[in-house]
Amino acid sequence: MHKRRKTLALAAAATSAVLVASGCSGEGGDDSGPAEVTWVINSLPGAWQSISLAGGSVYNVQMLSGTIPFTGQWNPEGEYEFNMDVLAEEPELLNDDPDEGPFEWQFTFNEDAVWSDGTPMSGEDLRVTWMMAATPGEEHCNGCDSRGGMSEDKIEEIETDGQTATVRLKEGLADPEWESTFDAHSTSGGFLPAHLAEENGWDIDDPDELGEYYEWLHSTMPEWSGGPFQIVEGDLENEVIKEPNPEWWGDEPGLDRITMQFNDDEGTFYNAFVNGEIDGGSPADYNEDVFTQLEDVDNAVTDIGEGETWEHIDFNMGVEEFDDVELRRAIFTAIDRDDIANRNFGAGYPEYELKNNHMFASDNEYFVDHYEGETQGTGDIEEAQNILEEAGYELEGDQLTLDGEDIGPFRLRSTDTDVRNTSVQLIQNQLAEIGITANIEMTDDLGAMTSEADYDIIQYGWSGSPWFATNPEQYWHSGSGSNYGNYENEEVDELTEEVTNATDLDDAADLANQAMEVLVPDAYVMPIMAEPNYFFANDRLENVHDNLNSSYRATYNIGEWTLAGQ
Amino acid sequence: MLVYTVRRILGAIPVLVLASLLTFVMIDVSGDPLAELRMQTPAPTEEVIQQESERLYLDRSMPERYWLWITGVGGNGDIGLLQGEFGPSTQGQQYEIGPAIAERLWTTLRLVGIAMMLALGLAIIAGCVSAMRQYSKLDYTLTFIGFLCLAMPTFWLAGIVQASGVELNQLVGGQVFNTIGDGRYNAEGQPLWDQFANAFAHMALPTLVLMLTSFAQWSRYQRTSMLEVLNSDYVRLARAKGLRNKTVIRRHALRTALIPLTTVFALGVAGIIDGAILTETVFQWRGLGDFFITAVENNDSYALMGWLLLSGVLVILANLIADLLYGVLDPRIRYE
Repeated sequence: MHKRRKTLALAAAATSAVLVASGCSGEGGDDSGPAEVTWVINSLPGAWQSISLAGGSVYNVQMLSGTIPFTGQWNPEGEYEFNMDVLAEEPELLNDDPDEGPFEWQFTFNEDAVWSDGTPMSGEDLRVTWMMAATPGEEHCNGCDSRGGMSEDKIEEIETDGQTATVRLKEGLADPEWESTFDAHSTSGGFLPAHLAEENGWDIDDPDELGEYYEWLHSTMPEWSGGPFQIVEGDLENEVIKEPNPEWWGDEPGLDRITMQFNDDEGTFYNAFVNGEIDGGSPADYNEDVFTQLEDVDNAVTDIGEGETWEHIDFNMGVEEFDDVELRRAIFTAIDRDDIANRNFGAGYPEYELKNNHMFASDNEYFVDHYEGETQGTGDIEEAQNILEEAGYELEGDQLTLDGEDIGPFRLRSTDTDVRNTSVQLIQNQLAEIGITANIEMTDDLGAMTSEADYDIIQYGWSGSPWFATNPEQYWHSGSGSNYGNYENEEVDELTEEVTNATDLDDAADLANQAMEVLVPDAYVMPIMAEPNYFFANDRLENVHDNLNSSYRATYNIGEWTLAGQ
Repeated sequence: MLVYTVRRILGAIPVLVLASLLTFVMIDVSGDPLAELRMQTPAPTEEVIQQESERLYLDRSMPERYWLWITGVGGNGDIGLLQGEFGPSTQGQQYEIGPAIAERLWTTLRLVGIAMMLALGLAIIAGCVSAMRQYSKLDYTLTFIGFLCLAMPTFWLAGIVQASGVELNQLVGGQVFNTIGDGRYNAEGQPLWDQFANAFAHMALPTLVLMLTSFAQWSRYQRTSMLEVLNSDYVRLARAKGLRNKTVIRRHALRTALIPLTTVFALGVAGIIDGAILTETVFQWRGLGDFFITAVENNDSYALMGWLLLSGVLVILANLIADLLYGVLDPRIRYE
């Protein structure tokens, strides 16, 4: 008995010691110590820079937030702001008429703007970023695998003179979004240092050596910074730790240390938040269960709104039956967009809005409601039947026919996610009511399905940002590799080409809306709604809020984050 | 024994080659490694897609790629097992599969190794105690715990353990347990005790999950095996000869009763690696389980091949070790 008591006492003592010691090792908020915050990023960043195919993600730019300088960004209110910490003045458009000479504009850096090693920022930084972000065909860089390039490929040259850079486009080209070239939403998420290439012995004008610099940037943890913070420790699989950049010339950052933790299982967010292991996050994916759980936590500040990814339903124009626009219109009329949106997002985001413009959100200044008065997307079965009847279709029992021939069955395809599973089941039921059989086939391989047009009707998503000018041509131009359903309309082709090459944003938006005016009655693609994005943060944090207009999300103003009471 | 071991290792090579060929074909037909790339917004140009296709050797036929993956002959120096290269990854030009596997293996071994040792030790004790006190309250309790753990899917058990850790933290008003990550940077440069406490806080819950899942199965086997031995003639004879109970159990019964568990333990290595996939996901450990999930998500065929090859090697090694252990445990077995 005595021996057992002794053992128990020892076990109790050891447990207590571990409990006490471990209690001190916590990462949770202790306001009396250094101002530290742990922010969760809901996937791995892939690389140390965002230009490449591997690094091109919102997770990457969020990881780099506060370290990559940029020339401007969209704020949460949807207004564009130039970064006047970095720039001496707003960029100036030198020539906006491509008929009179190259379309060109100029950036001038703030004299105080320096990299974390004290080297002043210069026009060369923009030039090296452009050369690495252009596509391989431009032959600036051997081995670079830029994920973007559409804007960068338009550039003929960047002439630099100390702290100014003059950007010149190729002959005859214009860019309505010229201000965006090196902003937070660009391929590089900003711009990169040129002087580090020289320091490491690489000549940026030699494509092979620039390729080596590119690889170095993508594979080496950046200890350099051009923002309020710099990365001091970390890896690409667990977390990075940031501390204030001692050379930062702007307002002093409000935090001493930020840990950005990579966590791709959103199911763990609630426990980790309650446990004080994370202080917040702005995940790229919507998860109703996690969001509603977090909403109920006492010390959580939460927010939700329309994100950048929007769901839509498309036809494969290679299917013979879909040559008939009336059939396409009837099918879209039978589909109830509100039902789909409500079943998917109604519980967590009851304020959802249906997407009535393919390019612009309802609060955007360029928004035009292209579905006002339209029957498409209403789920009005009677109206759908009327359209079909007028077009000569007949309902024989449960089967729709034309001239005695059965219509369908059609392959209704999408990727295997909760949202899309719910959606295609609803669509299947709605189409059954007008005598059309839709056989659901889900896949995990969206890329193969779309690139081979291996579907009759499809639901998937596009991502956008307030910058839009390249999207219409990419989505709907008959020559675009991303026009998966092979939609062809000469008027749309012309309009979308003009959007890409417009000389200012107002013209581009007007042309994009004109293209949508043609597109909607043609019933090729029907938007449903933008997928909501949510945000959560511990209420001990101040100046932290979501920015749904930016890939940086809540980290867009990371230099301004503080703790309550500071 | 050395000859036997060498013969077994040589015999394993064709097994691995055949397994790798089958898995290579299955992975190849299961998805397009460029799918993610094609769906990026804005869409990459055809030129970029072509460049990526060539980098991943997708412009070559499947048999040619398999040959490349084995030998590296005709490749760009980044592929060929015989040259120590696992191949290019869809996760980026800079991502090297070999070093990634090595780093992840260490993370998983830390987690799985400790869990397995604890589970094995506890399973032997619990199994023996249950057998020796058959139908006692203790036996029923251990049996109940065993079946409970056996019945629970790993992801569910992990979720419950994670939530319980959080509850306990709230109860004691401190952060005894961490629920995500391995905390590798949290205690760097701190005193040794802080480093230990940090490691404990991050390892305790995932280790417990892996331990419980293995313990449940192994303790049941050990109980059955021990019961059989305790009821055997030679144990009765030992008792009849007047040997002390402790001596009978330790010297005669336990050693024999361990033989079946050795087999189960070796076969369980594969199961534990499977369990680690779920446990590492729930606790966000960047080990081999997470490596596998990430490779699947990215259609990263060469990374998947690397993972499967390593799993195959581990299972074969575990079986070999088990076979060799038979010789140690059972004097009747001799290797020639």
